[in-house]
Amino acid sequence: MPKQEIDGSELFNLSLTILGLVLEEGDQNVKELAERFSFSERVIRKAVDAVSNSEDLSKCDTHFYLNYDAYEEEDIVSFSSGNTNLAGPPSLSKRQLSSIAIGLDYLASLPQFETSSDLAELRRQIRESAPTPVTSIKSPRGAELSEKIQHAISTAVQISCEYRNQSGEQSTRLIDPLRMEFIGRRQYLRGYCHKNSDVRAFRLDRILSLELTANPISPEAAAAHIPDEVFGEGHGELEVTIAAQPEAEQIFWNFPTSGPQRGEDGRTVGKILVGNLRALPRHIVRYGGLVEVLAPKEAREEVRLFAQRVLEPAAVKGVD
Amino acid sequence: MPTQSPAERLFTLTCCLMAAPRQGLSKQDLFDAVPGYHDARNTDAREKMFDRDKDTLRDMGVRLEIVHVDSFDDAEASRYVIGRGSFDWPAELSLNSNQLALVELAAKAWNNQLFATSAKSGLTRLKARGIVEADRELSFISPRLLARHAAFSPLAEAISESKVVVLEYRKADGDQKLRELEPAKLRLIEGEWVLLARERGQIKNFLLRRIVSKVKLTEEQFKPASDEEIAQAEADLIALVAQQEAEIEVLEDSEAFWHFGAQATRITLHYMDEALLAEDLLEFGSEVSVIGPEGLKERIHSRLEAVIATHA
Repeated sequence: MPKQEIDGSELFNLSLTILGLVLEEGDQNVKELAERFSFSERVIRKAVDAVSNSEDLSKCDTHFYLNYDAYEEEDIVSFSSGNTNLAGPPSLSKRQLSSIAIGLDYLASLPQFETSSDLAELRRQIRESAPTPVTSIKSPRGAELSEKIQHAISTAVQISCEYRNQSGEQSTRLIDPLRMEFIGRRQYLRGYCHKNSDVRAFRLDRILSLELTANPISPEAAAAHIPDEVFGEGHGELEVTIAAQPEAEQIFWNFPTSGPQRGEDGRTVGKILVGNLRALPRHIVRYGGLVEVLAPKEAREEVRLFAQRVLEPAAVKGVD
Repeated sequence: MPTQSPAERLFTLTCCLMAAPRQGLSKQDLFDAVPGYHDARNTDAREKMFDRDKDTLRDMGVRLEIVHVDSFDDAEASRYVIGRGSFDWPAELSLNSNQLALVELAAKAWNNQLFATSAKSGLTRLKARGIVEADRELSFISPRLLARHAAFSPLAEAISESKVVVLEYRKADGDQKLRELEPAKLRLIEGEWVLLARERGQIKNFLLRRIVSKVKLTEEQFKPASDEEIAQAEADLIALVAQQEAEIEVLEDSEAFWHFGAQATRITLHYMDEALLAEDLLEFGSEVSVIGPEGLKERIHSRLEAVIATHA
């Protein structure tokens, strides 16, 4: 167990919540409280102690009395009120509520939960209004894909899929699916790729077709560590120096970076790591001039050519 | 050895305030009553401890209010009470196990420290609503709310404290102005963080990435927008999106084709902001061509020219 499982304010929150529960619903068992709130029994006891140790020194008033016999002999939390007006836990703070509400809003915008009546009901309960999320791309194919993948994860079977990486190369992959991730509006499958013998991230919109196999996922996959950062396939070792206007600063969040970023004439300058130069231009061109590649020269050239090829398809000869 | 842990001190403080007379308690009353404050090394440390505790109480939903009374003694002039409604259970809220799993997922999604902590403590609160175990079905789905904009935390703070903010905002056309806003809500729409805020009486949407300065919180407070006002603004945005249509053509079997749903090469898209849509389309280069509207076509053209000029 980590040394500091819970901080002071969270423990305070837990104390208020447990007290409220006991006052509303009667005595509670320590073990059950630990399970319910996903904390250790030790933490639950600390929270109970915070309630039972509360007293007003100036008036020598005890706020709540804990039934110590029941607590020590039977692990039962039972409070009776002393001199107090506190009869239940506080309602959720604006920030508690909004952090959950934003999270739920976000879930509602994911194809996964589009039709979830539980989610719709929950959002109605948490807030009075439950607006429909704004979505512009409706992809029945995406929903079907993610349903298949979810099924594969929950039954722990390997999948076989046609995948096109960001350089446009297409290949058949055997993947042990581990987790579905949604970042912003991009959806990724994190899985153990047998071609690379490693955990990789696959964008769902680059999966051209997908079949579930009858093979269980490999022991390597089951034991694999899934890194926190998701950069998809094809990011790597080439260092590219870029400068981004504030509106496009987020480009630094989409790549592994090298070294610190610094401010220069209102722009943020720093190095990103890319897999190959051909895959780079689209990420730069997207920001329409708000991001500039400073070095290497070949990377600048690739970006310019990409834009020129779109503007005047016939005029640009050479590499395709 | 201190007599009280921080959690115990906070709890005692809450109980003392709840038992306070109508005119509230002064800071000195609280220092006398709560054992934890006796542990402070000196007066300065005690004051700091008290200031932090006030913030924590508010973060946890306890509506701590200050009452000003006439007194010769400054320390006695500000008195503290707990606002009504602080200890009401969320009305009729009850969750089933799937809903609890959804709340857990929503709480887990946060990468922003401030919001992750609030979501987690809110989750603890909700877990007291009768459900013991969350549905395991959703455990392998991992949505992430990445809130890395520097503007995010100050705006969140301004929203919870109803404080007016001042910031520099640069519109897509490059027009930059100092704006004075009353922030109401942060939302993630289509992968973009959007701030709903009142400006001169009118609720508007602002993109966090177009905030080009630090967000400055002023001392000026405002009356928060009502749920109805917010709902109306959200409905207006949905209506706007429904109304704004772009028509594009994608190359068959290209990446764009798959990205946009892979059903036909001619696609109609609805959009919130033309400049953002242009970005999404630019990424696909020649795989996408815009049929209309004309404004979008021109925007993409000029953006490409800007790229060429920047990289000449």
